[in-house]
Amino acid sequence: MAELSAFNFRPGSSVLHGLDVRFKLLFLVLISLTSLKAYPAALSILTLMLVAALLHAQGSLKSILKAFRYVFVLLAFIFFARALSTPGSAVIEFKAVSMTREGFYEGVLVCWRLVIVVLTGLAFVSTTRPSEIKAAVEWLLNPFPFIPSKRIATMMSLVVRFIPVIFDQARETADAQRARGVDNRKNPVYRLKKLGIPLMRRTFERADKLAVAMEARCYSENRTDPGLYARLRDWAALFVVICLCLFIVVW
Amino acid sequence: MNIIEIKNLSHRFANGTLGLENINLTIREGTFVIIAGQNGSGKTTLLKHLNGLLLPTAGTIHLAGRQVSENLAKARQMVGMVFQDADSQIVGETVYDDVAFGPENLCLDKNEVKRRVSKSLKIVGLVDFEDQKPHLLSGGEKRRLAIGGILAMEPNVLVFDEPFSSLDYPGVKQVLKQIISLHRSGHTILVAAHDLEKVIAHADRLVIMKDGKVVKDGMPSQLLGNLEAFGIREPCASRLGMEVPSWLS
Repeated sequence: MAELSAFNFRPGSSVLHGLDVRFKLLFLVLISLTSLKAYPAALSILTLMLVAALLHAQGSLKSILKAFRYVFVLLAFIFFARALSTPGSAVIEFKAVSMTREGFYEGVLVCWRLVIVVLTGLAFVSTTRPSEIKAAVEWLLNPFPFIPSKRIATMMSLVVRFIPVIFDQARETADAQRARGVDNRKNPVYRLKKLGIPLMRRTFERADKLAVAMEARCYSENRTDPGLYARLRDWAALFVVICLCLFIVVW
Repeated sequence: MNIIEIKNLSHRFANGTLGLENINLTIREGTFVIIAGQNGSGKTTLLKHLNGLLLPTAGTIHLAGRQVSENLAKARQMVGMVFQDADSQIVGETVYDDVAFGPENLCLDKNEVKRRVSKSLKIVGLVDFEDQKPHLLSGGEKRRLAIGGILAMEPNVLVFDEPFSSLDYPGVKQVLKQIISLHRSGHTILVAAHDLEKVIAHADRLVIMKDGKVVKDGMPSQLLGNLEAFGIREPCASRLGMEVPSWLS
């Protein structure tokens, strides 16, 4: 079965699990922005703190590394792009290509900052229920008068729910076509058309069925509001995060 | 007391096809009714009229004495419908969220939503799956989740459209056990099916449809011999002149 990503909510009772989703969203933005200004010493502190928080919330280093397995590929690309394109004193030279000391340092720094952003995102997603994220989106959009916040939040949650189902459908359709020899057709446009059209048709049919099922369960935009409560611990956590970010920026 | 009263119900689709023709049916509270018929006989169309997903072209449907079209929200709360394709019915990102979807639409208090979700998950045996993603459940579990989502709305009538389609043997047993237990707890049950083998042993009444009409209506034991004339397979035991056993025995 298709799994959307390794970035999934994991139930638990850690401090991060208990914090209000709006504060966690703010921490995500603050820490990510701060990491762009940070250098190795500050990045080390942030990494240690985030890994400790994730270990507390998720309980295993293996699961963190598993979540990172695809990110590492992206980081490798970024590192080599930086290392090979930054001018400076060459460390490794091969024909016309050279890796410089400055490029190596820049590559490591950019990748490290990205790791901080991804770690923060992982901490947010793995400790926040999808319904809470939906509630936060609804809350954030509420002040804007012409944006239907409830409808957008519902659409967002339906997208999250149905992406794995559509992936399953795509794989099933592709397998069925392979079983009938589509691999012998080398024209990519033909193959894309043969996969895309039935997939879209089935997705729209499913959307129709979903709309009827939602109607059968009395769907309306006037629903029970999600409860979001800011408590003392949320404000305390905000104070700590702001102090940390200021310390890093000033340092 | 009759919980469902259908009088002279006809439905014509937008393309002009006649889906239902002059249906008259009354269903007593607490009964277990099977609506049988081959594909295209009008079973699903009839069921969709019970909670106002489709409205009649002619005729009336009353639920506990009140006409369905007068209050659609009430009709949908009273008649819970479990669809054939469970995957298309599940809307939540987690099992908990999906079961909470109905009660939240009824604008219930948050604590009441929580209470109903816990109760429903307990009834369908999915308490340990609360934070699980629905697409990772097995076919039987998905069908039970769909039932749980309906139960949280506390309906009086439960309508199942082909509840055993594409389920393996353990999945069929799980869902059947669930349906029987809901019937025992006082719910009125309507099951639309074309294969009666799995469920007929538990039904009080059998309604046979063909070409949008009710062609037979009576006790299952009296109608089993006539099934093949309407494109429905007669259960094996019945062919051999025996009583049809339950799939759970």
